[in-house]
Amino acid sequence: MELVPAVFPFIPLSIVLPLLGMVLIVFLEEKFAKWIALVFSGAVFVLSLVSLLYFDFSQAQKVQFYQSITLIKELNLSLSFGADGLSYLMYILTTLVSFVAICWSIRDHQINHRLKEYYAWFLLTESALVGVFTSWDMLVFYVFYELTLVPMFFVIGIWGYKLRLYSAYKFFVYIFVSSLFLLLGIVSIAVEHYRQFGKFSFSYFDLLQNQYGLAFGLFLFLLFFIAFAVKTPIVPFHTWLPDAHGEAPTAGSVVLAAILLKMGTYALLRFNIGLFPKIAVFLMPVLVLWGIASIIFASWFTISQSNVKRFVAYSSVSHMGFVVAGMFLLNKEGLRASIMEMFAHGLTSASLFMMAGFIYNRLHSFNMQALRGSIRFMPVFAVLTAITGFSSMGLPGGSSFWGKFLTIMGAKEYTLQLALLVLAGAFFSVLYMLYLLKTLYLDVKEEGRLVHFTDVRGFKLVAFLLVVVPMLMVGLLPFLFFAFFDAHIDFLLAMISKSLEGGLWK
Amino acid sequence: MEMKDLIQIEIPKLALFVPELIVLITGFVLFSLDLIYKRLSHTLAISISVIGYTLALLYLIFNFDLRGETFYGLYVRDSFSSLLQVFMILLTIILLAFTLQYQRFKRSLYGEFYYLLAFSLLGGMVLASSYNLLLIYIALEAVSVSFYILTALQRGDFTSKEGAFKYLILGGLAIALASYGAVFLYIYAGSFDLRHVLHFNAPDKSFLILGLVFFLFGLAIKIGVVPFHFWLPDAYQGAPTPITAYMSSVGKIAFFAPVLRVMPLVQESFHNTWVLAVGTLAVITFLYGNFVALVQKDVKRMLAYSSIAHSGYILAGVSVASAIGLKAVIYFLLAYSIMGMLGFLVLAVLERSGNWENKLEDFDGLKHSQGFMAWVFAIALLSLLGVPPTVGFLAKALVFMSLAYGKLWWIGILMIVGIGVSTGYYLRLIVLMFMKEGERRAIANPTGFEKASMVLMAASLLILGILPMLLWNYISPTSEMLFRR
Repeated sequence: MELVPAVFPFIPLSIVLPLLGMVLIVFLEEKFAKWIALVFSGAVFVLSLVSLLYFDFSQAQKVQFYQSITLIKELNLSLSFGADGLSYLMYILTTLVSFVAICWSIRDHQINHRLKEYYAWFLLTESALVGVFTSWDMLVFYVFYELTLVPMFFVIGIWGYKLRLYSAYKFFVYIFVSSLFLLLGIVSIAVEHYRQFGKFSFSYFDLLQNQYGLAFGLFLFLLFFIAFAVKTPIVPFHTWLPDAHGEAPTAGSVVLAAILLKMGTYALLRFNIGLFPKIAVFLMPVLVLWGIASIIFASWFTISQSNVKRFVAYSSVSHMGFVVAGMFLLNKEGLRASIMEMFAHGLTSASLFMMAGFIYNRLHSFNMQALRGSIRFMPVFAVLTAITGFSSMGLPGGSSFWGKFLTIMGAKEYTLQLALLVLAGAFFSVLYMLYLLKTLYLDVKEEGRLVHFTDVRGFKLVAFLLVVVPMLMVGLLPFLFFAFFDAHIDFLLAMISKSLEGGLWK
Repeated sequence: MEMKDLIQIEIPKLALFVPELIVLITGFVLFSLDLIYKRLSHTLAISISVIGYTLALLYLIFNFDLRGETFYGLYVRDSFSSLLQVFMILLTIILLAFTLQYQRFKRSLYGEFYYLLAFSLLGGMVLASSYNLLLIYIALEAVSVSFYILTALQRGDFTSKEGAFKYLILGGLAIALASYGAVFLYIYAGSFDLRHVLHFNAPDKSFLILGLVFFLFGLAIKIGVVPFHFWLPDAYQGAPTPITAYMSSVGKIAFFAPVLRVMPLVQESFHNTWVLAVGTLAVITFLYGNFVALVQKDVKRMLAYSSIAHSGYILAGVSVASAIGLKAVIYFLLAYSIMGMLGFLVLAVLERSGNWENKLEDFDGLKHSQGFMAWVFAIALLSLLGVPPTVGFLAKALVFMSLAYGKLWWIGILMIVGIGVSTGYYLRLIVLMFMKEGERRAIANPTGFEKASMVLMAASLLILGILPMLLWNYISPTSEMLFRR
């Protein structure tokens, strides 16, 4: 991979600024906390938008804004930051959603105590997330990957709903333990680089050159896969998710669903496919079918939920199924679908969780029965919810449409049956979303339960618009987004076909 | 060979062991003061100790590149001994910041505390800088005997006596085993020098194996490796808390030092045996330590078991008898000495709160009543758990790396299980401190010195994790040097 040095330290600045805000929050009075958080996350968001002007889209496969400082020369451990098209898209999603989450928290009734800590944790999360998507040193990647855990653990455990402690525990233990496998995997490939090239290295570019035999490669692939499958999550490993997402405060769920899950899929794409292309090809049928099974099971789980937040959480699992299935199709359509779906789901899930949180603020209930027909008194909110719902469902013009449509296209390149299987998954995911919309819009509100509903406004409206507008953009102008990652996909496909020269196993 | 060559008179190179001399003199000054004055002023004793240790430390730091051997090769000063000694002295100085308040509150530290501290420190420093089995034996005794008495200092407390007694009996056994092993090694090679013993190539290696096994078993008891760990939780729980902190940090460095000196000398011929034996012990140790820590209700005892578990992780690195393994192990050892000590020192301060018994429920809502202590303790716990960007994470990553280097996947996977189990108890404390409401009680009010020391240690946990080269640049050449021997 080629590197383009940075003209301006956009990425290190995006990591340092939130930390700076965090320090300010800690040392200033509590009443300033939310405004400092807003200003700093807003500044980072603006920074990421400004950096768009400097990003060279014609060379999106190159790592741009690249900067590196060596930490340990002997191990080739360095702080190296940069973004290719894929990283860059995720970077923008991160800054956007973090800003949205903080915008939302400012007027959230749930957040009424320990404000300093709350906003400090959110800024730390933002900083760590930017680090995850932009670091090119594997150990540093791991540091940021794990660092997101701590603030989220506190956010769930302190500001969450009834079962918050249980959920916080479960979240931390699941992710932490599964990530240890990743750690073992990372150090193993660094050592493998030493065996093959005579020096240790944690640099992603160096590690791309490693070659692995079938058995050892499979073992390493699994070490990586366990961590990311739990994080993504794929179905048998998903049980931490509904608890964590269901019990977290709204802004916490937004960040969890919109970005933290993407860490898993991003890493699957970047590391499992990038570092072990042969193994990925070898395991392709299993993983694609696994992804599809994940879609279908998660859709069924979703329909059976009575808590709207858990409902949305399970729907995330089913969406992640599309991402995984699309990714491991290992063709252009599949990979496109997967990345589009990552971005689109980041927006829709953020919006859906905000919707759930908004209704909770009005009704003090997450129960589906209590929500029936409640939306009709809030016209603006109703429109926003409708757009989100149909986008998530995958209606043409909605943001998830491209993810689903391209996955089906990609599957059809192999066999028609596979495409039909994906279609079945898409069908179920439409089903649950229609059910939710029906409950919200069409069911009749019971007599006597009518309360005064204020429509969405102020900061919350801004937060909604910040995700709904990009959602429409993804749906209607997909080519804007293809420009980010098409080059990377070509690069990846070239690498896969190069690794297959001379047959799968020599 | 003429008689003249056999009896070479070597003039001891004083410059090489000035720090030890300073510590020894400090110890004797404190000893005589304690004899002369019936009630030795604690402030005076602490001042004398701090001055003495600081002098030793400054000498070490300014002469860090000092190398050489003296006393006919009995005593070795190299970068390894200097590095470990710097840490030992530094941690002892930090410890002294906590003793005055603890004494005021518990009245369990007496005059002998200060000179025993000096003598055990001296023993530890000698342990870090010798290849000679006899000297190691004597230094082991110096450290251990001081520790027995220090453990029993909480007079009138049953658990303190029980712990000390157990420690005494098992420690005595350990010393006996170690000396027995030393004798076998002497029979094998005709020398007490470990370098000579392990490079000696006799066709029959049975005495070498037997001697090494006994010798290392002795050390294993001292370290607290699992089938021989029974004294450790009781002694750690019973001892006055600052002394527990001392034993878990300086004591651990001291007892591990000879093991780390043996590790690079492991020969090709019994390399596999070494890997299997040490690896198995390591796995048993960290699994047992973590599982048992999980069910403890007493936090001090829980940290004692976590200390056992950490010995296990260190041993896992030791089992990979290669340079990268040694680097990982030294890093881990020094990292653990900071975080383990910080954990116990926080308890030492918290014990001054009203109604405090170190029980889990005492930690409920600590964040609200004593926010500073809660944060410091949380950093220590996260580091013990190995969450980035703390130094504990990097230490574990390096151990994993050395395991991958040695292709010891089974230890790696089992270590993941061990760390996974440990998540339970470290996290429980954090949850109790930050997410629960607790009863109101008198708070501990750490003094300025205590606060500064805790901040320093917590900050160093983060700084060494973020900028690992600060420590690595010393460790890496050291371990290369040990392997060239």
